[in-house]
Amino acid sequence: MKGHDDPGAGLRIVVAGIGSEYRRDDGAGPAVAAQVGELVDGVTDLGTIADPLDLLGLWDGADLAVVVDAVCSGAKPGTVRLVELDIASGPDPLGDASRTTSTHGMGLTDVFRLAQAVGTAPGRVVVVGIEGSDFAQGTGLSPAVARSVPHATRWVAELIGDAR
Amino acid sequence: MTEDSGGRRTIAVEGISRVEGEGSLRVDVRDGVVDGVALTIFEPPRFFEALLRGRQSTESPDITARICGICPVAYQMSACAAVEDACGATVGEPISALRRLLYCGEWIQSHALHIYLLHAPDFLGCADAVELAARDRAAVERGLTLKRTGNQLMETIGGRSIHPVNVKVGGFYRAPAQDRVAALAEPLHLALDAALATVEWVSGFDFPEVEGDYRFVALRSPGRYPIESGRIASSDGLDVSPAEFADLVIEEHVARSTALQARIEGRLDYLTGPLARYALNASELPDIARHAATRAGLGAVCVNPFQSIIVRAVELVFACHEALRLVEAYEPPEPAAVAVPPRAGVGTGATEAPRGLLFHRYELDQDGVIVAARIVPPTSQNLITIESDLRRVAQDGLALPDDELTWRCEQAVRNHDPCISCATHFLDVTVVRR
Repeated sequence: MKGHDDPGAGLRIVVAGIGSEYRRDDGAGPAVAAQVGELVDGVTDLGTIADPLDLLGLWDGADLAVVVDAVCSGAKPGTVRLVELDIASGPDPLGDASRTTSTHGMGLTDVFRLAQAVGTAPGRVVVVGIEGSDFAQGTGLSPAVARSVPHATRWVAELIGDAR
Repeated sequence: MTEDSGGRRTIAVEGISRVEGEGSLRVDVRDGVVDGVALTIFEPPRFFEALLRGRQSTESPDITARICGICPVAYQMSACAAVEDACGATVGEPISALRRLLYCGEWIQSHALHIYLLHAPDFLGCADAVELAARDRAAVERGLTLKRTGNQLMETIGGRSIHPVNVKVGGFYRAPAQDRVAALAEPLHLALDAALATVEWVSGFDFPEVEGDYRFVALRSPGRYPIESGRIASSDGLDVSPAEFADLVIEEHVARSTALQARIEGRLDYLTGPLARYALNASELPDIARHAATRAGLGAVCVNPFQSIIVRAVELVFACHEALRLVEAYEPPEPAAVAVPPRAGVGTGATEAPRGLLFHRYELDQDGVIVAARIVPPTSQNLITIESDLRRVAQDGLALPDDELTWRCEQAVRNHDPCISCATHFLDVTVVRR
């Protein structure tokens, strides 16, 4: 956290929140990314990413990219999961979850593959999924998801600490 | 080729890839003749027009921008134009120029995305952009550079690259500083070179010999290639104001689709988008874009829908060149927005989204509250023509095996860069041979 020694300062670490703060729980990713960017030294918050394709260019050269997104898997709202996006070793760990539900043509896994193909992919990509329940128009997270934000933030901070 | 004992053949795609949104496609063939084509859109309707009722007209640019992540500026510009028309307000040239510059960013971003990541893989036998990148890394890097430049423009002027936040009715919340805009010149020079290389690259693709019989409709704006304003013209002589055009367009619901299909009253279907803009406005292109078009083999009009990728690349050259011109001439508008006092009235705004004409019509009460809204995106206007293209392409390609015919049919849809989410008002393909 801020003020602590930063033995891994040489690492470029980025955090991105995918989603829209105007679709309630879809704002969970940006909310966590903003807190991580504020609380953890030496981490670049890439801001709110609406389209995973926009990660291209922004995450180039990063040693670690943490991508936080709201998910809809049927789990209990507020459940936080971490998935290492290691596509070289087998099938897509995100499965259908990486399929885009927006108007854009590429999900996160395909964007990562594309970045690898052109040699700009981060060294590691970790996806943090927060189970949402309310994706209606409007601002503000549902209570369970709001409660999970500090928890997810701590988890990401620990992940970054371990990476360093 | 799969044909049943009754000579029937069906080609079906249950989820068309590399288009924006979700839809499916079915082609029915009976005794060697295509007797049915259905483009079915099953992305849920989104009711934005109803959502706008009761909202302040000043909210319309931000609300309607959310219809699409690819062309939010188009929605913002058409919304602003409609509200300003209803309220009798006009903005001066400096604000118009800044709007045009922002819009150039969206054209660059959207065209680069479509050409490199969605459309080019079709011509090179690649399943997707990832496969293309493995085969031709330099090409994909060029596309991504172009897209990034478009994003930079949108961030600098609009505040962010997706769903810009700096646009308001009457102009902008804040005019970007001159030095920030001037800094765009260097990436735009590189983007212009990349756009010229794009024209050369795509003009070398193999194109099926197909000719469409199109009624083109686009904005026309004497003295310049149209983007953010103009009258509406067609290849068969229409020349009307956006308000008059809105009166002429009929939208129909077909049961299989959540998108409306538009046609001009008393006439058949029409096509908007790059082919239409180019056919009606090629003479307004700057020399650098016209010469690139000539070198690529384009005539004054292009009616091969598969070559729309070349026209789109020529428009990329135009957009980069135009953006450079605007950057070099930029002076922050003062004020950044004009006052638009509310009044009761009806207003129409029409602009050229990357994939075609987009018009909005709002009826406002005396307090500026939206009483009625109508939003007609380019894909709704193009759907009937896309189905006609499909019929022609499927008929011409009947000798192909099912997998190749399916691929060709999907291409026929992608030629027009449909934005299904905008139209949901989209793509799976089924060809039924009987």
